[in-house]
Amino acid sequence: MIPEENVQEPVSLSLTPYTGTWTKAEAAHLLRRTMFGPTLSQITAAVNNGMNATVTQLLTIPGVSPPLAFHADEAVTPIGSTWVNDVYPASNAGPTNNARLFSLGAWFMQRINQPDVSIREKMCLFWGNHFGVDGTNEAKAVYGMHEKYRQNCLGNFKQLVKDMTTDPMMLLFLNGATNNLYSPNENYARELLELFTVGKGAQVGPGDYSNYTEADVAAGAKILTGWTVLDLYSSTASQPSNVFYSVLHDSSSKTLSSYFGSATVPDAGDLEYANYIDIIFSQPNMAKYLCRKIYRWFVNYDLTANVESTVIADMAATLTSNNFEVLPVIEQLLKSEHFYDISVRGAIIKNPLEVLFSMLNASGSVPNYSVPVNYEIYLNVYYLSQVMGMEYLRAPSVGGWTAYYQTPAFSRLWANSSLLKLRFDLGAYMTVTNGIVVNGNAFKLNALNFLDNLSLPSSAPQVIDDILTVFTCKGVSLVEKTVLKSILTNGQPDFEWTIQYNDYIADPGNTTVSTPVRQRVELVLYRLFQLPEFQVM
Amino acid sequence: MKRRNFVQSVALSSIGAPLILKNFKFGAVTEDLFKTSRAAEDRVLVIIRLNGGNDGLNTLIPLDQYANLTIQRQNILIPQNQLLTITPNNALHPAMTGMRDLFTEGKLSILQNVGYPEQNRSHFRSMDIWTSGMLDPNATRGWLGRYLDQEFPNFPDAYPNTQNPDPFAISMGYEVSATCQGLAANFSVAINNPFDSYNLVETGQVNDGTYYGAHMEYLSTLITQANAYGAQVNAAANAGNTLSTMYDPNDDVSKNLRYIAQMISGGLKTKIYIVNVNGFDTHNAQVVSGAPATGDHANLLSRISKAVAAFQNDLHLLGIESRVAGMTFSEFGRQIASNASDGTDHGDAAPLFLFGRCVSSGIIGPNPVISNTIVDQAGIPMQIDFRDVYASILKDWFEADPQEIQGMFEQTINFLPVLDSCNLGLDENKEALDVSLFPNPCADQTTLKFTCSNERVTIRVYDLSGTLVSEVCSKEFQPGEHLVPVQLDGKPSGNYMVTVHKNSGTFSKKLMKLKNI
Repeated sequence: MIPEENVQEPVSLSLTPYTGTWTKAEAAHLLRRTMFGPTLSQITAAVNNGMNATVTQLLTIPGVSPPLAFHADEAVTPIGSTWVNDVYPASNAGPTNNARLFSLGAWFMQRINQPDVSIREKMCLFWGNHFGVDGTNEAKAVYGMHEKYRQNCLGNFKQLVKDMTTDPMMLLFLNGATNNLYSPNENYARELLELFTVGKGAQVGPGDYSNYTEADVAAGAKILTGWTVLDLYSSTASQPSNVFYSVLHDSSSKTLSSYFGSATVPDAGDLEYANYIDIIFSQPNMAKYLCRKIYRWFVNYDLTANVESTVIADMAATLTSNNFEVLPVIEQLLKSEHFYDISVRGAIIKNPLEVLFSMLNASGSVPNYSVPVNYEIYLNVYYLSQVMGMEYLRAPSVGGWTAYYQTPAFSRLWANSSLLKLRFDLGAYMTVTNGIVVNGNAFKLNALNFLDNLSLPSSAPQVIDDILTVFTCKGVSLVEKTVLKSILTNGQPDFEWTIQYNDYIADPGNTTVSTPVRQRVELVLYRLFQLPEFQVM
Repeated sequence: MKRRNFVQSVALSSIGAPLILKNFKFGAVTEDLFKTSRAAEDRVLVIIRLNGGNDGLNTLIPLDQYANLTIQRQNILIPQNQLLTITPNNALHPAMTGMRDLFTEGKLSILQNVGYPEQNRSHFRSMDIWTSGMLDPNATRGWLGRYLDQEFPNFPDAYPNTQNPDPFAISMGYEVSATCQGLAANFSVAINNPFDSYNLVETGQVNDGTYYGAHMEYLSTLITQANAYGAQVNAAANAGNTLSTMYDPNDDVSKNLRYIAQMISGGLKTKIYIVNVNGFDTHNAQVVSGAPATGDHANLLSRISKAVAAFQNDLHLLGIESRVAGMTFSEFGRQIASNASDGTDHGDAAPLFLFGRCVSSGIIGPNPVISNTIVDQAGIPMQIDFRDVYASILKDWFEADPQEIQGMFEQTINFLPVLDSCNLGLDENKEALDVSLFPNPCADQTTLKFTCSNERVTIRVYDLSGTLVSEVCSKEFQPGEHLVPVQLDGKPSGNYMVTVHKNSGTFSKKLMKLKNI
């Protein structure tokens, strides 16, 4: 095994616009990193449209329709309507809340399973990882928090931090709701500095973490006192809300460490938290922490000294000069020479959602039943990703998923022996079994739809080439390619596949000709999903 | 004769046990005494990670500090009459009856105030420090990963093989453990259920020298290993057994420890097992308001205690008790003062538990001192460096070479007696086992526990040069168990021998006095 330090360094560390070749490989790289499993037609369109137009399309954020009631335990909202502004029943709100959390989990899976060419869902999950909330609380509070991620997904980072600081769900999660004059609770104040904004540097003295100190944590807790949450599980109010009680606020003047220019934060009541965040964001190194996270999310885990001094420094300069607007940084990165550098292609092991939806989305597999059945199916999809180590609504800790920060393994943590086995089992489940079945309605990878949308489905070699374009970064070995093709043709000459395919196209509703075609494609994908080449992006 | 019995019998056969120490050189003993014994090769270490920062002060309560604890953490402090008293000055949380019983049986040892210098109160940084066993922020390997790197260089290439067919470490669940991160790969295999069978597709991948190529090689090695290790684990699980009825079938800690007992009894040669328990970050609702003996923290401690007691019971019934030892750790303790949310914020040092048939002694280290005045954000200061605990486990349990151990750590190691009672051959001498000192290490005072018949007993303290430091007492005792205070105030810090002279012989225990803080 090659020690990491021997890995080939990028040729280009520059953020200047990429002008190299623009083929399916580059286009697929862009779409894989910004979406959850592009289709062949999306890849082909991106090749034809060019890099700039594709990035513009990706950075356009389409709206979403709200989550719908589907579960029998929902006591207020009719099935098929949205519950997001509906009250709870006056007694026994628990079952209704659980029904709404199920709806939320299913809804996120449905959003990711959408066909839009947009970075939206990758950015929403990015913020979910950044703020690391275990969000299985009051469903409307959870929904409200995720709406902030979505509405601000390419927006202003400083504003998002301010919004999150007084967000009801966050106030509940990191104990801001019980942080008051009489007994400060440091939980949020610590994570605000350590994980959400400046980040923790090396410990250079007792309680001194380079970018802030323990005294700053204590001062921050005082600054943030007074906020709490009202109307949770309310049977009268449509939304939970935050409220500021000045009598619970520590109105003393707080002094920060030299890392914040020894600034004094005078009492400013319910505006004080925002003043404090303005001070945090004025720290010279502020932008780098977020840029490293963006880099690890979209490009590569390995922040070498060279990457740090070039790519990260340049991204941070862009973020700072744009007053913490995120879009310009992402746009610059996705159009940069470094992003397309051959050394970073395939450098990320897919997370569980990327594995799951690269199977489903790339094959255009979308359940198309009634609202309750669709939601029940998506809830099962949610459970599959949970088992594989990534539960959308619940980051494992406030630091997010370990694969995005734990040295030296990073994304390899998604694929140890036990998780890899689960991935393989999932690949089998989605191809060669009946898949998820709800009241007799099945959902799995739609192999025929996938096949129909390839460039030349009647040609066995072309089917294999297309499959490798869609699902792998650099193809597979010649030997493996032969194995895959012989699975497709069932060991017969290529023309036999052509005959079988043409029979199916002539009579697509006839299962005696369509079933063998579907099964051959499923078997190829079943094998492909077990290859190391499929696990990376 | 067992390996260390020779040393022991030489010591005891001379007139005064401490005197022999005067010129006793370990180097004079035959060389192979220091090679890893057969026993050490078969030994297993089980590590339970209490993820989130366990509130030590509500786990092991220093009774002599109770009045000031009332001032600092009234809303979460458990009424004294509900606590499980285990020594005159220490009590366990009422949810820990299982571990209390282990303590009584001499199968639980507690090290107090374990931590590291210049506490970092970030979960992430602190957990990195605990898993790496180093303060260096650039350290990427785990402490057991470094140990295994020394023992098995070039892992994972050419592993598993005929000499080492089994995984070196198993992390229960779906995540490998940072504790076992080695130079080139993680030594731990994640096993969710040992009864699962593995039959993954194996294909050859070529490393083209890029990040991609390194992943390809990693994944194909992993697949090959997963199949090979999976088959071993599976075979052991099927060959193994579990006998205790004390496990809670609905609890994950119990389930995982039971799987571990099953694998060990089935002959798996894995040296290290890791179990992770989440939920210790109790910033709020650590206790139920008004009923502080109940709530989230009580539930966590109850699960751990019940599972550990069941596991120990199982090992006993399976007849493999002397091969297995366990340790708990958490990234930090919590602050002395509670907050208004019936919780506690990130603190510093905390107690660490060792369990097993071979633990050295009861309570190691003095009680923390709680002040009556509120100091903002104060935690419990570190007295025992956690790296000393790790190093001592490697020495006592895996019988690694002390010099090699020293090479693995940043600071000068101060070896503590942690898991040496089976090494000394004392398992054949029930009487000697009945002599114990707690706390050990101690500050100015410790307590000696011993049993005797109706006889005259002389208790003396010697320094390691064999010079008499003090005679504690020499008098007639009633039959039964006795607790005798041993004073060391005014004596320099360092190592001492406490000897108990009875009709049946002289029994000695090493005692360490800590520097005053």
